[in-house]
Amino acid sequence: MTWELFAVFIGSSIRFAIPLLFASVGELVSERGGVLNMSLEGMMLTAAFVAAATSQAFGDPMMGLLCGVIAAMLVALLQAFLSNTLRANQIVTGIGINILAIGGTTLALREIFGARASVEVSGFGKWSPPLLGDIPIFGGPVFTQVWLAYLAIALVAGVWFVLRYTAIGVVIAAVGEDPQAARKAGISVVAVRYGVVLFAGFTCGLGGAFLSIGDLQTFTENMINGAGYIAIAAVIFGNWKLGRTVAACFVFGTATALQYQLPAMGVNVPNALLIMSPYLLALIAVAGLAGRQRAPTALTVPYWGR
Amino acid sequence: MSLAAASRAPRRISVGAFLAHPVLLPIIAVAAALLLGLLLIVALGTPVAEAIEAFIRGAFGNSYSVAVSLNRAVVLALVGLGFIIANRANLTNVGGEGQIAVGGIAATALALNSVVAGLPLGLAFIVPIIGAVMAGAAWGGIAGVLKARVGTNEVISTLLLSFIAVWLVYWSVQSVNLLRRPMTSTATLPESLRIPAETRLPYVSDNPAFPLTIGIIIVSVLAVIVAVVLARSVYGFRLRAVGLNAVAAARAGIRDGRIAISALAVAGGFGGLAGAMMLLGEQHVLKNGFSSGYGFDGLVVGLLARGSVVGVIAGALLFGFLRSAGITMEMLAGIPSALVDIVQGVIVLSIAGAAFLLDRRGTSR
Repeated sequence: MTWELFAVFIGSSIRFAIPLLFASVGELVSERGGVLNMSLEGMMLTAAFVAAATSQAFGDPMMGLLCGVIAAMLVALLQAFLSNTLRANQIVTGIGINILAIGGTTLALREIFGARASVEVSGFGKWSPPLLGDIPIFGGPVFTQVWLAYLAIALVAGVWFVLRYTAIGVVIAAVGEDPQAARKAGISVVAVRYGVVLFAGFTCGLGGAFLSIGDLQTFTENMINGAGYIAIAAVIFGNWKLGRTVAACFVFGTATALQYQLPAMGVNVPNALLIMSPYLLALIAVAGLAGRQRAPTALTVPYWGR
Repeated sequence: MSLAAASRAPRRISVGAFLAHPVLLPIIAVAAALLLGLLLIVALGTPVAEAIEAFIRGAFGNSYSVAVSLNRAVVLALVGLGFIIANRANLTNVGGEGQIAVGGIAATALALNSVVAGLPLGLAFIVPIIGAVMAGAAWGGIAGVLKARVGTNEVISTLLLSFIAVWLVYWSVQSVNLLRRPMTSTATLPESLRIPAETRLPYVSDNPAFPLTIGIIIVSVLAVIVAVVLARSVYGFRLRAVGLNAVAAARAGIRDGRIAISALAVAGGFGGLAGAMMLLGEQHVLKNGFSSGYGFDGLVVGLLARGSVVGVIAGALLFGFLRSAGITMEMLAGIPSALVDIVQGVIVLSIAGAAFLLDRRGTSR
């Protein structure tokens, strides 16, 4: 492989990793607080569709981004209400939301854009930071990205700082590990859990919009196609720690890019093995074969107090 | 005395308590979701009468559509029965989709084996069924072993195993070395050969307009067995003991690790059986994505049943007919079958969400 092709490969690995990064950072925060959102997929799909439709309607991708994020946060609000106020089973309600999101976006796509499975929309242009973009060979393919990709990196840094150095991080951990004790310390468990789920909705909104009006500039039926579930696998493989979760997103993104790269290079690896690799790696991790694994103690356990 | 007095004290009758009736609640949720679907049809501008006619034709229109809906319900009921067995031990099996998938792979592999296909006395289809059950049980059992040995949350492991199995189907039909039919041209579809007639599941009647398989008999017998085992047997008691208090059960000499492994293996076996019913009964060819949606629909059926076998049957019939009706509605009245997804999603969310009206009295202080 030439250096040019390698640079293109790295660039496409990053592009596949970014939506995972957005979704799994939000999910990490939410799971640290004890709420598992099986509905990441639905949040991303809703955001991708609403961002595409509104970006097209207003002729302004910024409006699309705003509306997409708000839509995903509304889905997250539904999830938070079901998980925290109604104390419903988090897995089931998450799957229910995903079914609803697929049905809703497919129906709306047909109604707004006619009987097509895919529409092109206007979106953000690509951009490369000064200096980095001028690096020979790698500057173009690797660093020329939609600005949202750089926002993802900033988001990771911000979440790392908040979880590591602020009281908010401690409060979230307390709520996810021992909600009763957190309550006795005067923390409103339900309020914190609403907050973390809404944050997951916010990041999934960015991730879904990145796909439809950022990277691809199209909306396709069911275009998230499992990325939400892979993001959950990334959090699991990441052992509920930020650094490892981010690394997992890039590994999974690279595995996706390899699905297209390897056949082009004439390497014969079963495609299915690459597609299933995120789930396989996550399973190996939870099986304890990759070091000791520990989920937040109160993960998926509803809190029955106030 | 005080207990008797308490039970005789007038209970507060509220709308919430009325709605929280365990039978009434799902009926209300389903009716509300169907009403919402109807409103959406009106909003889409399709004549309602036409839509309803297409819906009813799809569900009950002729013997063929009834049989198709029932066959679908059989699959959902099997997954749902497996779910409530594991759930009795407080284990949540969300891997139905993958258990169907490995069951389908095993059933296809065995049915395409010339030795198996030549077996007499119905063994030609019984052997693939047994293979599918064992494959599903192994797949569920992995999650059980992880739970017992490492303490891995079974929700996470069954979910991950499910995705892996779904892609194993893709792998099996992509590779000629596995189950893909011989490539005669570049246009050869990525799917298995059609299984021989002897290995297919027999139909209940000879009438070709009513292709109901004997799956309905199998699931009816199993439903009775499951109900008896859960309510009356020692094994059912152990499951419940572990589910209610694993520590107390261990003190009483029940090995909760073994219960976890066996319960998830049984749940997986039911999923594998469901895969065999689909493959040997209706599809006859292994294709990528053949299990799509069935596992999750079955999970929902199991969950909404709240541990009751009768509930599983009712839910399986509801979703079986709903899906078939949706497909017909799309063909006849041009209403996207996505509408059925919406209705189903609303049913799931409203019943799962309202479950707290039922649970509240029991579990909260």
